[in-house]
Amino acid sequence: MTFRHERLPNGLEIVAEVTDDALSTSVGFFVRTGARDETDATWGVSHFLEHMVFKGTDHLSADEINRRFDWMGASANAFTNEEDTVYHAAVLPAQQHEATALLAEMMRPALRSEDFATEKLVILEEIRMYDDQPPFGADERCRAAFFGAHPLGRSVLGTVESIEALPVEAMRDYHRRRYAPGNIVLAATGAVDFPALVETARRHCGDWASLTDDAPRPVAAPRRGLERSLFETIVRPAATLAYGVRMSPGPAGDDTDRFAAKLLATVLGDDSGSRLYWALVDPGTAEQASCHHQDFRDAGLFTTQLACDAADAEDLLGQVTEIYAAAAPAGITTFELDQARNKLAGRVVLVGERPRRRLFSVGLEWARSGQYRSVADDLTIVEGLSLDDLHRVLSHWPLDGAGATVLAGPGTAGDGPDPVNPSVPAADDTQ
Amino acid sequence: MTVGTTGDGRQLGEGRPTLKQQLFSTTLDNGIVVLGERLAGLESAAIAFHLPAGAFYDGTGRCGLATLAGEMMLRGAGARTSREVIESLEGAGVQWAHSVSTSHSSFAGAMVARQLIPALPIYADIVRRPRLPADELEPARQMVLRNLAGTEDDPAHRAMASLRQLHYPSPWGMPAEGISADVADLGIGEVREFVARRVIPTGTIIAVAGRIDWPEVVDRIAALFGDWTSAGDAPVATGPRGPRVRHVPHDSQQTHIALGWSAPPYASDDSYEASAALAILGGGSSSRLFTEVRERRGLCYSVSAGYHTLRDHAMAVCYSGTSAARAQETLDVMLAEIERLPGTLEPAELERVKARAKSALVMQQESSAARAGDIARRWYHLQSMRSLAEELERYDQLSVASIERWLAAHLPAGLSVVSLGREPLEVPDDIQA
Repeated sequence: MTFRHERLPNGLEIVAEVTDDALSTSVGFFVRTGARDETDATWGVSHFLEHMVFKGTDHLSADEINRRFDWMGASANAFTNEEDTVYHAAVLPAQQHEATALLAEMMRPALRSEDFATEKLVILEEIRMYDDQPPFGADERCRAAFFGAHPLGRSVLGTVESIEALPVEAMRDYHRRRYAPGNIVLAATGAVDFPALVETARRHCGDWASLTDDAPRPVAAPRRGLERSLFETIVRPAATLAYGVRMSPGPAGDDTDRFAAKLLATVLGDDSGSRLYWALVDPGTAEQASCHHQDFRDAGLFTTQLACDAADAEDLLGQVTEIYAAAAPAGITTFELDQARNKLAGRVVLVGERPRRRLFSVGLEWARSGQYRSVADDLTIVEGLSLDDLHRVLSHWPLDGAGATVLAGPGTAGDGPDPVNPSVPAADDTQ
Repeated sequence: MTVGTTGDGRQLGEGRPTLKQQLFSTTLDNGIVVLGERLAGLESAAIAFHLPAGAFYDGTGRCGLATLAGEMMLRGAGARTSREVIESLEGAGVQWAHSVSTSHSSFAGAMVARQLIPALPIYADIVRRPRLPADELEPARQMVLRNLAGTEDDPAHRAMASLRQLHYPSPWGMPAEGISADVADLGIGEVREFVARRVIPTGTIIAVAGRIDWPEVVDRIAALFGDWTSAGDAPVATGPRGPRVRHVPHDSQQTHIALGWSAPPYASDDSYEASAALAILGGGSSSRLFTEVRERRGLCYSVSAGYHTLRDHAMAVCYSGTSAARAQETLDVMLAEIERLPGTLEPAELERVKARAKSALVMQQESSAARAGDIARRWYHLQSMRSLAEELERYDQLSVASIERWLAAHLPAGLSVVSLGREPLEVPDDIQA
């Protein structure tokens, strides 16, 4: 595996992790834009634009794009989150140029009014689809409660109202500002012919005008979260189970403790073999009880997800908090550390051998930090984590501290569980 | 014991290394089939145990027995307690999974290659020496019941499960995850009897894939499983199908539509024709359903068609989920596209389907877990291995004419239609014949 990097004069960065004997090639355009770059007036535009990119350019129809991807046997798709919009394709190596060139062309979409009107209907269906599914909006409501007025509290899809109100002109303006070449990374993994990749990028992206986004810089996210715990409920009479989501502050994407935070979340709340698993899932008490760590550029959080009978929900949320509260004083055991390290190392290796999975690790990391970490680097980090690291994270970021909790279910109500430790300081940038 | 090796090379794209697939198979004296695929480019290895203990064998009024039994098998095995079973797998960095399908109870694991041999005795305990302790029955039952309640909140899953139940003769279409009332009634005696009756060497397939040393793996598997014996089991009688059309009332914004008609099972000569026809109908973003339902009309976010196969039965399946007010139009457009399919296939459509299928086949070689599962499933259907070269060859043989022949003979006679949502939909009488 070798890492390659190149930058075009207009600012577009090209990175690749080259594995000569890989069977496939994955390519993707990683645009540094997402829900946190939106305003009330453009809420949902990043994700809507991601759909519109597949509707064609001045020279290409949507049907042609779909046919060309299928013709090259590509597995192509896109996603949008709070900070990134990613367009990707996995192909056999012989199709590298074709896939890259097509994606590159798509980055300059026509954004036709009639396509915008039709695709708006699809977006509204997507919003309804997710709203009908667990956790029935509890995750988005929880993030809104956790981040308050900060743009990271915005749902990626937007709302029915914000999408219905969005004019096509606002999307064209957003695209012009946010899809400037200096704000995009072209990444590739697998059997990559790097000189050919750079040549394709020169030919298809070299004339993109470099623009400076004159919009104000995004506001820094709150690092320590909430002054006091918040609890909200969503009532869905048709729901069978109740779904709880709890968020509390954790290390941010620029904090080296983010790796220890992920290992800690594995010990406490991995899908199997964790403290939450043995206490709540193995006995059949909860359908799901898990915890993971998520980081943004300047904020991080621990997210706990619970699914259980509605009658048990508040009691079990309380039990989860007690499990977290017990972790710091008693400490994590060496056995738990070893188990979690072995699990994470196994996952790193399994993800590492699939170019289409590596693409996201390589592309997202470069888009965020301008850094590259190989599979070996990741393994070294996992193996180097110690009990001290875990205990430091536990003491800085108590998972039982002030957090936001939202419970959605068939008529759940109440004030929520008693917070065990409601008085975590709320100051920003305390790291 | 017989050992066979298939090696073949095929050029996959100009200037690229030739793919050398190494397939192995052997049958132990007690009937266990052991399959292997060496993928030298990988760092990982994966194993899949497909035990002939699927939901097909649940028995009348006992729907969920196989799932409960599978869960119980993980709750203590050999010298290991319930917790030690999971901890020993995870301590070795094994990504483990257990699932129950109509035909099989499957235990699978993917791991760094050097952990495969050490993991085998853990799996031997689970498969051959499950403790099935009475005091674990209630937690296991509660886990199964909670999972069932979770599937109640997944409308797309419910619509598809309902379609299988309607379309396939019982018990082929019964939900593998179980039925709550049946699971609530199951006892430890039944679980133990089920495991004794169905977790048997005859019909068991063990598949390994990835960076493996085949002779070493076979030696270890033979040592751990070679002396396993069991009695046979009585055949299962199949029963009737459900009604052709069903509406499942559900208070949701979207209505979910699942429809299907009979297709040839995978082992049939024309299953590739069926699969290709369905891919043209709804298999990719240039497929007809995606183009007409989503791209042209904006009726939905999800729409697709595909091929679902069991051993003796198979089905062409179409699905879409859309808001209640537009569900009837969505169903009407889906039916119109199905009706329009015969006689209108274009060579370019077939070329795209071939390209997608070939590309997917090659990329599957990048996942040891995907390959272990795949070679086991294919053996179940074909009773033999099928190499990548044979598979690609079969796709090359597809022609518009051969698919048109299949469509002319099979296009929807007796469509089954499920809607799940607030209001039932109108289904034309003539397509239910």
